Amino acid sequence: MSEIKLSRKEKLEEKKYFKEHRQKIKLTPADIVFNIFNYLFFAIFTLSCIFPFYYIFINTISDNTLVTKGAITLLPKGLTISNYIQMGKVNDLWNSVGITFIRTILGTALMVFASALAGYLVTKKEMWHRKFWYRFLVITMYFNAGLIPWYLNMAMLGLTNTFAAYIIPGIVSPYNIILVKTYIESIPAEIEESAYIDGASYWKIFHKIIWPLSLPILATIAIFGAVGHWNSFQDSLILNAGNAELYTLQHRLYIYLNQSSNLSALVQPGASASDSATIAGQMNTKIIQYTISMVTIIPILCVYPFMQRYFVKGLMLGAVKG
Amino acid sequence: MASDIANLSEKEITLRNKKRLATPRTTGEKIAGVLYWIMRISVIINAVMLFFPSFNPIRVSGKTNRNVSLFSCSLSYEELLPQKVPIGLRRMDWYEPIFKSFSVIGIVIIIGTIIVIAGACMSLGNTKLKKFGAIFSFAGGLTELVAVLQIKSTTQELVNLSYVEGYYEKLEIFLPISMTVFMIIAIVNIAISVINFIILPRVKKGDKFEMEPQYHLFLMMLPFITLAFAFSYLPLYGWRYAFFDYNSGETLSMDKFVGFKWFTQLFQSEATKRDIVNVLKNTLAMSGLGIATSWIPMAFAIFLSEIKNTRFRQLVQTFTTIPNFISWVLVYAIALAIFSTDGFINTMLTSITDKSFTTNYLMNKDHMWLKMLAWGLWKGVGWSAIIYIASISGIDQGLYEAATVDGAGRFAKMWYITVPELIPTFCVLLLMSIANILSNGMDQYLVFSNAVNRESIQVLDLYVYNLGIGNGLIPLSTVIGMVKSVVSVVLLFAANGVSKAVRGESIV
Repeated sequence: MSEIKLSRKEKLEEKKYFKEHRQKIKLTPADIVFNIFNYLFFAIFTLSCIFPFYYIFINTISDNTLVTKGAITLLPKGLTISNYIQMGKVNDLWNSVGITFIRTILGTALMVFASALAGYLVTKKEMWHRKFWYRFLVITMYFNAGLIPWYLNMAMLGLTNTFAAYIIPGIVSPYNIILVKTYIESIPAEIEESAYIDGASYWKIFHKIIWPLSLPILATIAIFGAVGHWNSFQDSLILNAGNAELYTLQHRLYIYLNQSSNLSALVQPGASASDSATIAGQMNTKIIQYTISMVTIIPILCVYPFMQRYFVKGLMLGAVKG
Repeated sequence: MASDIANLSEKEITLRNKKRLATPRTTGEKIAGVLYWIMRISVIINAVMLFFPSFNPIRVSGKTNRNVSLFSCSLSYEELLPQKVPIGLRRMDWYEPIFKSFSVIGIVIIIGTIIVIAGACMSLGNTKLKKFGAIFSFAGGLTELVAVLQIKSTTQELVNLSYVEGYYEKLEIFLPISMTVFMIIAIVNIAISVINFIILPRVKKGDKFEMEPQYHLFLMMLPFITLAFAFSYLPLYGWRYAFFDYNSGETLSMDKFVGFKWFTQLFQSEATKRDIVNVLKNTLAMSGLGIATSWIPMAFAIFLSEIKNTRFRQLVQTFTTIPNFISWVLVYAIALAIFSTDGFINTMLTSITDKSFTTNYLMNKDHMWLKMLAWGLWKGVGWSAIIYIASISGIDQGLYEAATVDGAGRFAKMWYITVPELIPTFCVLLLMSIANILSNGMDQYLVFSNAVNRESIQVLDLYVYNLGIGNGLIPLSTVIGMVKSVVSVVLLFAANGVSKAVRGESIV
C-alpha cells in the first residue's frame, strides 16, 4: 500500500546519502568491474524483454516485400500501414476483437462488483454462519476437480458455446474477495458505525461508504481482472471450440500461429518447386501473424505504464493476505 | 441497536442469536418454522433440478439428446428435437409445434421456480414478510403444478399425433419420472404455504416488512455462494465419470458401471503406463527445475538494488515486468518471430554472413525442459522480483551502515544482511511451488508443443487436455485429474504443516 510513498522517501534519502558519502567512498577497481557487469546484465535482460515487441512492430510497418526477403532486422524500411488496413478487412478478427473487448469490460465490471460486495458482506460478523460461508468461498482456491469434470459441468449447465461461459464462472473470485475483505477491515469501523446510527441499510452503507473508500483496491483487482480476461484463451479453446464467432483474440492468434507452424514443418531445405507456393503463402501468414500479435498486445502496452503502480500494489497486498 | 452489533465479538453474537431463538414463540410459529425448513430444502432441490439433465421433465422422447437440462432446452427448443431419427422424420414439421410448446412449459417451470425461490427467501423475514412470501410460494407452486400437468396432456397429444403419422415406436415416447418429482415439490410448496399462512399469527397493524440482519446479510451473500457452488463444487460431481464406461454424448447408466477399471488401467495397460511415466517425468522435471531456480528472482532483486542509478533501476523494473502481462500465446508469437525459419536470428545471421540460415529452433526436441524453463524465467522473473525489491526497501539501513563500519564489503553485506532478510518470503513462495508441483498449467506447453517435441513437452495438465478433449477418453482423463487433485491437496497440507512447524505460520 505504501509502496509509492516508500520509494519517494527512499529516493530523497538516497540522494542525501549520496551527497554526503560521494566524497568519502571511493570505488575500488573490484567495485567498478562489478558495476559494469551488473549494469551490462540488466541492460541486456531489459533489452531482451522489449526487443521482440519492437522487432514485431517494425516488421508490421515495413514494406511487405522487404519483410518477405528478411531484410528487416533492426530498423523499419519502407514505412507503411497497409498491413493494419489489410487486417481491418478481415471480419473474424474484428469479431474476436469485439468479443474480447466486451468480455473484458463486462467480465471485469461484474467481478469487481461481486468482489466488493462479497468482501464487504464477509466482514459483517452478524451474518448467519458467516465463518462457514467465508470458508466455503475460500476453500475453492485450494482444490479443483480437474479439467474434464469442469468441462462436463459447464456442458451440463448449458454454458458451452455461449458468450456467458466467459463471464459467469469468473464473477466470484475468492482471492479478490479476500483482498477486498482485508482492505475493508483496515477502514476505521467508526465511519460505518455512524452511518448505522443514522439508520442506513447495509446496501446503502456499501454503496455510499464502502465502495468509495475501497476504490484503490477495487482499481487494483479490476486491472488484474481485465488483464486476465484479455489474455484468457483456455475457455475459448475448450468451451467454445464449436462456435467460431465466439473465439477470443488470443484464440484467434493461436489459430493463425498454428497454421503457419504446420506449414513451416513442410519447408525443408531443398524444397521442391510445388512447395514454393506454400512458402509464399507462409510469408503472407508471417505478416498476418505479426500484425495480429501487435493488435493483441497494443492494448496491454498502452495501459501498462499507467497501471504499473496498481500491479505492484496488488502484489504487495496479495503477500499480506489472510 | 445495530451499532452495538458492530462492537460485539462473534461469540457474543451467536449467543445473542440463540437467546433470541429461545424467546417464547407460539406453537403456530414453531410448526411453521419446521415446515419452512422442509420448504426451503424442497426449493433448493427444485432449483438444482433445473440444471441436471437426468431430471429433465420435458424430455419425453427417447431420441432427444440426453445431456440437455430443463434450463438449456427451455432456452432453445431445438435441443429438444429428436436426434438420430429415421430419414424423412427430420423434414416433417408435424411435431415441431409440440416441442415448441414443451419448451414454453419449461420456461413456465423456470418462472415458477424463480417465484418459489423469492417466497423461500421472504420466509426468513418477520411475520408480515413471511405472510407475503407465502403468497409467492403459493403462486409459484401453482404455476409449476399447472405446467407439469400440462406436460402430461402435451405428451398425450404427441402420442396421438405420432400414431397418426406412424412414428410412435421410433420416437420412443415416455413420461419422465422427474415429472412426478416436480409435481410433488410443487404440491409440497403449495401445501406448506397455505398451512403457514393460516397458522402464523395475525400481522399487527403498523408492522413493516423486516428481516433480521443475519438473514438479510445471508440473502445478499446467497448469489455468490450459489455461483461458487455451481462452478467450484459442482464439478466434483463429474468425478463419477471415472467409474463408468463413458463416451461423450452418451448417458450414464448403471450397466456401464465399471468400478475401478480405469484406475487399474493406469497401472496395467502398457501403453498408458508408458505415457504416464513419460508425462510424470516431464512434469516433475519442469517443476523441479522451476523450484531449483526459484532463487533467481531473489538474486535478480538483490543485484538490481545494487544499482544506484534510480532512473535506470526503474526502467529495468518497468520493462522486465511487461512479459508477465502477456499471454502464453503471445509469448509463442514472439518465439516464432525470433526463432523460427524466417525469424530474427536466421535473418540476422543471413544478412551478416551471406550464407542462408533456415534452422527452425522451435522444431527441435533437444533440451526442451531447459527451453521451457528459460521461457518461464523470461516471462516471470521481473514480476517475481518485485516482492523481493519491496522487501529490500524495507530493510533497516542502519544494518548496512553498521556492517560498513565493521569493514564488510559489498558481497558480505548482500550475503549476511539482505539474503537473511529475504529468506522468510522466499520460504513461503518455495513451499507454495512445492505444493503446486503437479500443476504447471497447460497454456505454455500447449502453445509450444508440435509434432517434433510432443514427447518431451507433454506435462500432466496438457496430457489430460489431449486425452480428454482431444481423444475423448473422458473416464481415463477424469481419473488422472482426480489423482492429481487429491495429491495436490495433500501436498498443500504437507507444505502448510512444514511451514507451521518451522516458522509457526500457516501459508494457506
